[in-house]
Amino acid sequence: MEAALAPSRTYACKVAEVATGQPKIVTFGRISVGIFQLHDGYAALLNICPHRAGQLCEGPVCGTTRQTDKTEFVYERAGELVRCAWHGWEFEIRSGKCLVDDRLKARTFPVHRDGEDLYVELGR
Amino acid sequence: MFIVDTDVHNYWSSAEVLLPYLEPYWRDFMVRGEKPGPAGSFPHGHRPWLHPEGFSRHDIKPQTEEDNYLIMKEKHLDLYDIDVAILTADEPLEASTLANYHYANALVKAYNDYMIDWWLPKDRRFKGSIIISPTDPHGAAAEIRRLGGHKDIVQVLASHGSQRPYGDPFYHPIFEACAEVGLPFAIHFGGQGGVNHNAVASGPTAYYWETHALLSQPAMTHVVSMISNGVFEKYPDLYFVVIECGVSWVPSLMWRLDANFKALRKETPWLKMLPSEYCRRNIRFSTQPLEQPQNVKHLWETLEHMDGQNTLLFASDYPHWDFDAPTNLHIPPAWRDKVMGLNALEVYKRIEAPAATAKVA
Repeated sequence: MEAALAPSRTYACKVAEVATGQPKIVTFGRISVGIFQLHDGYAALLNICPHRAGQLCEGPVCGTTRQTDKTEFVYERAGELVRCAWHGWEFEIRSGKCLVDDRLKARTFPVHRDGEDLYVELGR
Repeated sequence: MFIVDTDVHNYWSSAEVLLPYLEPYWRDFMVRGEKPGPAGSFPHGHRPWLHPEGFSRHDIKPQTEEDNYLIMKEKHLDLYDIDVAILTADEPLEASTLANYHYANALVKAYNDYMIDWWLPKDRRFKGSIIISPTDPHGAAAEIRRLGGHKDIVQVLASHGSQRPYGDPFYHPIFEACAEVGLPFAIHFGGQGGVNHNAVASGPTAYYWETHALLSQPAMTHVVSMISNGVFEKYPDLYFVVIECGVSWVPSLMWRLDANFKALRKETPWLKMLPSEYCRRNIRFSTQPLEQPQNVKHLWETLEHMDGQNTLLFASDYPHWDFDAPTNLHIPPAWRDKVMGLNALEVYKRIEAPAATAKVA
């Protein structure tokens, strides 16, 4: 099964090139992708923000402020979000979901680790 | 397409780039005097609001002073094939917040010389703005006369934060100088701290995003004041350019002004036209940050009421967090040629028309 999937995987970078909070931007032809390390693995997002086409993955990896029912400030989900480099809209790195607009979703790509190498499935 | 970007911020990494351009007294003042932050911060009276994320796009990370240009060239001028970029500085606009107007004058003068010396020669696409501190209108007028003849200077620029509405006769020496040298007077969002304490009506707001959403407030006051005080009767050829203050508020304000004027024009007998007619003739608005309704048709219909096809000027606000890319500007397609570039030629007479347009004209 692994062998059958292998052709759709494209080498992205070395594991050592990606750190928590410091994604690696990799270019495949004309496609720019951000490779992120999460606490339990890796994820990849197209480096184009669905809001206004900004460089999504070049923004800060961060957490967010919990919506509350009273005046309190709770910082949560540290490291799970990327804030687009241009306009600061927040996206879940794992799912590509946009926190402030349900209609927007950043394109995601599965990432596979093979030893010290990371591969992405770019799809069709 | 011919693109004139009317709001491109030429950043510096440190305000110490001004030191060689300051006269000795003011150089000593800046080096040894109190600053609002660490070495390299620009002297200004700060705002009550702190931006929670920082002003610049996160993909713009200059390491050297030269990078401020090189990154702009790569990520903006070349990427979008911008034909003309009007430099609007950044921190120097904040000189208007200082109570010491002598210091403010010295700082903007140093900036203007630095901009002419360091930025303008770098790229044939650059045009400059003379930054003035409006707290001393006569000092500002002298600066306009000092540099107004430079071929690559296209406007005079002040912060939209000010101590009085700009139509106040206190400021008329500035417009007299603009008219004399043939340059538009422009205001840009900013200068909301220090002596310009009333930049938000009813008092300071608590959060940066609400303050930013209200950036139209002082602009409304200035637009009304410039019209009512007869600035455009005194200087009929003067263009007043409102940069980064939003645009969709303009039609409703004009409706109100015209109605009130018809009833009470006896207060301002020097006006010969309706307020909206002065606005249409003498005032131009930069697009960014263009409002974003759910249904863009609602915006387009509003903009038709201000003759947006002829009164809007494209602006990106590079490299700020609320940047509008030229490729993504939601204006009616039929307006694009005018708004993206041709309208600017009417206002900024020193910008050369593209060859194709020159032939038509």
